[in-house]
Amino acid sequence: MRLKRKWIAVVMAAVLAIGTLAGCGGSPAEPSAPGGQETKAPSGSDETKASGDRELVIFTWDLMFPEELLKDFEEKTGIKIVYSKFDTDEAMLQKLSAAKGGDYDLVIADDYIIENAIAQGLVQKLDTSKLKNYGNINPVFQSQFFDPKNEYTIPHGAGIPLIVYDPEQVDFEIKGYNDLWNESLKGSVALTANSRVIIGMTLQAMGESMNTEDPAVIEKAGEKLKELAPNVRMIQDDNTQNALLNGEASVAYLYTSQVYAALNANPNLKVCVPEEGLGFGVMGAFIPSAAPNSAEAYEFLDYMLDAEVAEQMFEFLGYYCTNKAAEALIPEELRELLVAPEGRTMEMVENVNNEATETYNKVWTEFKAACN
Amino acid sequence: MSRPASGAAAGKIGGAGRRSRGVWLTALPLYLFTIVFVAGPLVYMLVLSFQTKAEGWGVEQVFTWNNYLRILDPVYLDTFLQSLKLAVSTTLLVVLIGYPFGYFMAKLSQAWKRRMMMLIMIPFWTSSLIRLYGWMILLQAKGAVYQTVRFLGFDIDPLKVLYTYPAVLIGMVYALLPFMMLSVYSSAEKMDWSLVEAARDLGASPMKAFLSVTLKLTMPGLLSGVILTFVPSMGLFFIADILGGNKIVLVGSLIQDQLTRGADWPFAAALAVVLMIMTTLLIFLYQKVTHSTELEGLF
Repeated sequence: MRLKRKWIAVVMAAVLAIGTLAGCGGSPAEPSAPGGQETKAPSGSDETKASGDRELVIFTWDLMFPEELLKDFEEKTGIKIVYSKFDTDEAMLQKLSAAKGGDYDLVIADDYIIENAIAQGLVQKLDTSKLKNYGNINPVFQSQFFDPKNEYTIPHGAGIPLIVYDPEQVDFEIKGYNDLWNESLKGSVALTANSRVIIGMTLQAMGESMNTEDPAVIEKAGEKLKELAPNVRMIQDDNTQNALLNGEASVAYLYTSQVYAALNANPNLKVCVPEEGLGFGVMGAFIPSAAPNSAEAYEFLDYMLDAEVAEQMFEFLGYYCTNKAAEALIPEELRELLVAPEGRTMEMVENVNNEATETYNKVWTEFKAACN
Repeated sequence: MSRPASGAAAGKIGGAGRRSRGVWLTALPLYLFTIVFVAGPLVYMLVLSFQTKAEGWGVEQVFTWNNYLRILDPVYLDTFLQSLKLAVSTTLLVVLIGYPFGYFMAKLSQAWKRRMMMLIMIPFWTSSLIRLYGWMILLQAKGAVYQTVRFLGFDIDPLKVLYTYPAVLIGMVYALLPFMMLSVYSSAEKMDWSLVEAARDLGASPMKAFLSVTLKLTMPGLLSGVILTFVPSMGLFFIADILGGNKIVLVGSLIQDQLTRGADWPFAAALAVVLMIMTTLLIFLYQKVTHSTELEGLF
């Protein structure tokens, strides 16, 4: 009897432990990349080891490069790539901060978190003379708020959230954000779960800046957002496009890579570039302040800036191409998805002060509760 | 005469001292582990909850009550209410399904008991996330359930179950049911069934015999099952996120929001502290009300 009780207790403890672990994952819908798990690039790295043990530790999200390119780089240079993954920007900054800017040689992350990393002194200034392909970068994506003088970062793809819808289920043409509030879309809109992006979209629909720090204006956007609640089917950050593809939702406001994935799966879907304005974000590559192998990091950056390599990478990544020279090589059918639309009001989501952050967080919680 | 006596006494005391020191030494790693990995983080969280969020990123070492005062905002109080509501309704459903299951399982033959135990355990060899995705596939608008009903010849509209409250309840009950089944089973299994027979012989109706004998004797299992269900369900926010489409704001998901994009760790810590105090108080209250000092497999 005692033995049986013990056995039950052990099983229960195990179940609890599993439940907790799953809960800590951070982004539940991304089971493939437990935070910070280090995996070697799948390649012939063992054979190249003979040539002097040169190593490069890349720290970024999962699936940022096609495997062929990593393999090709290893074969050409004899440098062994160690691919270390993170789930969220915040987890990256915590780890980099704990390592005091060491341990990693090259980091790719989002704009706003890079601003924080630079402020903490965790990023080293780039010597662009070491990058012979530096001129290939599209200047449109440079000189942004997080690195106004282009001292620290190389843009590594840009994202513009767009509205995608199924014309078979939506009986009018969606032209902009305000159409999401249309009464006929009851219970059929899927949204990404980034508070600043969704409240930012509402602010743009009201003709305000996405980065307003005025609590009254943010609260007003919150009121407008609550009116959207009856239309919301789900809010989720990972694989939001699935809701559109499996018929749960007929309209979705998606990140660029998700738009790309949705259209690849169902070419009949329609994309709307909102008329009220666009929000965009840039992913940037930087070398941490105490990177053990910065020479190898420069070599890798230069390799990735090569026009042909960049073209292959963006086709894999599904983000807007930040490499001017690579743009010309993108096949015709992918141009609309990989070359950013021009001539629109574009604004980046920037870090705001504490009071505004608190208001944004509160408005977001109110909105989610209203959706229930 | 007195000398040897006192000598023996001294020897005894010395022996006891050595023995207790030995016990203490063997237990030391356990204490150290608990202090470092359980008490340490709790103290850290408590301290963090009184600090101030820095502009941009990180925490400033400035004492403040503000994080706790902010919780009093109706928006945030409501998340506690939502968590409580979900936890209570989950627990009630789990009692309704899990109690009869555990009860009837205890009445099976030994061979069937083993088989049932296996059947309950097998799902746990798969990650809970994958099982949740299984539920998504079943409940989707044009998912497995819809397809099956269509296949059977009924013409129905695509389901609108996923991303609703019932979907979350299904997921919660599914995840926590085994705790109740197993603790009720363990109580019912060692029950002396001849007492029920005696009650029946003395003229009690089956209902009366159940209420006055079986229920009383399986109470420890039921009560510990309630705790094993209630406490985790206060924190299982990822089920609400995945099956509820993020629309039910629970304290757990609020804490996660503050730790990630919100970058407000002190507020997250304050929320976590309040959640823990609330859960502890509720359990304390529960034990007082039910007079349960000995719970099956707990304490």
